[in-house]
Amino acid sequence: MVFSCIPFVFFFLPLCLILYYAVPFSIKIFSGKEILLKNGILLVFSLVFYAWGEPKYILLMLFSTLLDYTIGRLMECFGTTKLKRTFFLCCSVCVNLSVLTFFKYADFLISLINGAFGTDIAALGMHLPVGISFYTFQTMSYVIDLYRGNVKAERSYPAYLTYVSMFPQLVAGPIVRFSDINGQLHERKITPENIDKGLMRFMMGLFKKVLIANQAGALWEEIRVLGAENTSVATAWLGALCFTLQLYFDFSAYSDMAIGMGRMLGFSFNENFRYPLTAVSVTDFWRRWHISLSTWFRDYVYIPLGGNRKGVGRHLFNIAVVWFLTGLWHGASWNFILWGVYYGILLMLEKYVWGRAMERLPGWIRHAYAFLIVVFGFVIFAITDMGELGRYIGLLFSFASNRLADFRFVWYLRNYGVVIVTACVLACPVYPRLCEKAAGLDGRRRRVVSLFAGVGVIVLFLLSTAYMVSDTYNPFLYFRF
Amino acid sequence: MIIDEKVRKYTARLLGAGILVLAVWFVLAPKKEFSENENRYLTKMPSFTAKTVFSGEYTESLSDWIADHFPMRDLFMGVKTEVEIVSGRREINRIYIGEDNYLIERYEAPENTERITDTLVKFYDRVKDTGVDVRLMLVPTAVTIYEDKLPAYAPEADQMETAKLLYEATGIPAVDCSEKLLAGAQEGQIYYRTDHHWTTFGAYLGYTAYCEEEGIEPVPLEALEAETVTEEFAGTLYSKVNDYTHMKDAITVYTNPEDRLRVTYEDTGEVSDSLYNFDYLQEKDKYSLFLNNIHPLVEIENETAPSDDVLMLIKDSYANSMVPFLTHHYKKIYVFDTRYYKDGPSSFLEEHGEVTDVLILYNMNTLDGDTGIRGIY
Repeated sequence: MVFSCIPFVFFFLPLCLILYYAVPFSIKIFSGKEILLKNGILLVFSLVFYAWGEPKYILLMLFSTLLDYTIGRLMECFGTTKLKRTFFLCCSVCVNLSVLTFFKYADFLISLINGAFGTDIAALGMHLPVGISFYTFQTMSYVIDLYRGNVKAERSYPAYLTYVSMFPQLVAGPIVRFSDINGQLHERKITPENIDKGLMRFMMGLFKKVLIANQAGALWEEIRVLGAENTSVATAWLGALCFTLQLYFDFSAYSDMAIGMGRMLGFSFNENFRYPLTAVSVTDFWRRWHISLSTWFRDYVYIPLGGNRKGVGRHLFNIAVVWFLTGLWHGASWNFILWGVYYGILLMLEKYVWGRAMERLPGWIRHAYAFLIVVFGFVIFAITDMGELGRYIGLLFSFASNRLADFRFVWYLRNYGVVIVTACVLACPVYPRLCEKAAGLDGRRRRVVSLFAGVGVIVLFLLSTAYMVSDTYNPFLYFRF
Repeated sequence: MIIDEKVRKYTARLLGAGILVLAVWFVLAPKKEFSENENRYLTKMPSFTAKTVFSGEYTESLSDWIADHFPMRDLFMGVKTEVEIVSGRREINRIYIGEDNYLIERYEAPENTERITDTLVKFYDRVKDTGVDVRLMLVPTAVTIYEDKLPAYAPEADQMETAKLLYEATGIPAVDCSEKLLAGAQEGQIYYRTDHHWTTFGAYLGYTAYCEEEGIEPVPLEALEAETVTEEFAGTLYSKVNDYTHMKDAITVYTNPEDRLRVTYEDTGEVSDSLYNFDYLQEKDKYSLFLNNIHPLVEIENETAPSDDVLMLIKDSYANSMVPFLTHHYKKIYVFDTRYYKDGPSSFLEEHGEVTDVLILYNMNTLDGDTGIRGIY
């Protein structure tokens, strides 16, 4: 189930919240044992949520969590020496990565083997279990943190399963680490203020997804298949911009909704995006884009490899490894690897060639530089077929042989201009600035602005409902990962 | 946050209440089977079985079911369309929002031209030596004839180029009515504003183009009885765009007072003396009144026909509104809908020696995707 659909917004979520708020946090049963009722409700709904789109692979998730829970307990009870703890860690990491490799990369590896050795192994044709890349990384972070002694093992399997399967963040992140919410699993405050604020955050995500991401995506889908004879240079770049906007609004909307629902449930998740399209460098972009993923790779791969503390050669190697993996994480095909490598190389160049010089340039040049790199990067990200990707990139740079713009480009602007401009404005931090401004107003004016905003939220909600009722185009891009 | 605490509190409560009201409304409201506005059967509540659940089919249809029966669905869809139009969109669900309130279906670059050519060539090869007079008539749609009503900069593939390609590749003598339609566009309405069909006036112009090729004298329009049977026609394009404030169309039907007709529907055995079934005026899809909607084979005899010619008409629904003009000239017309007539008209032709003329009539927009084309041969 996606968050931005009628069944979720009007039935699943309200039903879950009503029951969740109705029951006490915990009850004591006869032997003085406590049952965490709210967790129970959350768990049941999360499993239904997962099973909704993925009735078979729910067993895989149960297996994965049971394994890491057990290893966590074993490590705590028997991990008296570093050697023993390392053994448990290796068991967990090996099994997790094997499962991920099997379900996500098997066909890709088979095609590589077939290509290299001329063999003819048939593809398995499995479809990717929803959210596997996300929850595998979550459970791995738990075991690694445990190994490092940063967290204590979770005693209760239901609590651990609740953490991994929690529906707000299950299928498309943010990658919530156990160390960030282990306390909240057993004790958390649900206040009316948090419920209201969480609901507003959820709504913001809903608007971004339904009213902007889906629209930008529809135009991208159209431009992508136009064919060379109908695509002017301007149209090709417009397509790239649309995909960039679609991906950002889609994915950050999902995080908004996740964070909002988490808040309504009493959890606090970390932010996953900080206006990445306004970055001033590639390094800056990756501090703002999918933060929970880049910090994961930083903490569990880059720093353990030695980061930048072991000389230039090693530093470059570490960057190469991390960005190769980041690319690969996004999908089992060459374009994602290429996308990761593209960023790896740019980061190396920024670190060792032009990073310092860049800082002396005027701000707008740095914004433009990062923005163009990001937009071009997402073209690599968008098109999995290498031949098609090559052709599209050719169109982007066909300044000499192609028309720069045509009527079709004007037509697209006319039809989608409002959506694109709105998206571009919202991709900049205008909202926080408005909030600051509003906070500085005197009482009466503040009230008027508030009222307008409140009415605006209601109107946008009705409009989103209208779009959800009639829309057939409603994909969540990060479902693939 | 931009909203202060108090307003936020009320906004949140309002949102919550709104969600609950709509949810409860959905549960309690009776479910419609058919949507008049969208002209389609709505999704039925799926059955809960182990098989459908594990394949994911259950949840998928359940989602469709909920969206299809959601309270005020028509209103919500209309709101979406209005907002899109206000925001500058001039194309919705592949329909252009044209000038003068015309909804105009896009013409997609064709994909099946080769396959269609093959079928037509096969058919023509089989019948051309039998002395039967065969003609191919590919009717342009509003996107070509009403090009001046398209929104500015709307991109378009050229219909008549495809038509020319087909005429040349098949070698079947062509009836090109585009000149007549273009000229007639000054005199009257050629296409419906809300439907993808041509009006009866457009069909009349098509008929005159056919007569010219055949060397028949067309009956002047003034000699026919005209009757406007409805002004509330909201056609297929209307349903696709969902703009419920859009103006509706009138349908005018023509009857030749000299004709004495006997219309036989082969599939139902029904016999009538009229080419129209006005029961459809009570329904959404009013264009179906022409030739009583869809039938694999219809036989139309005209007692008072001046000749003994027999026409075999292989066609899509565009022809349904042209038939009333043709009947005057033929003793008998066999009307085939090759989507449903499974035996292949070519063998029918061999069995029925009395056929003197064959007219293959399709409109350019549905031609490429029409499954009936395959049934010609």
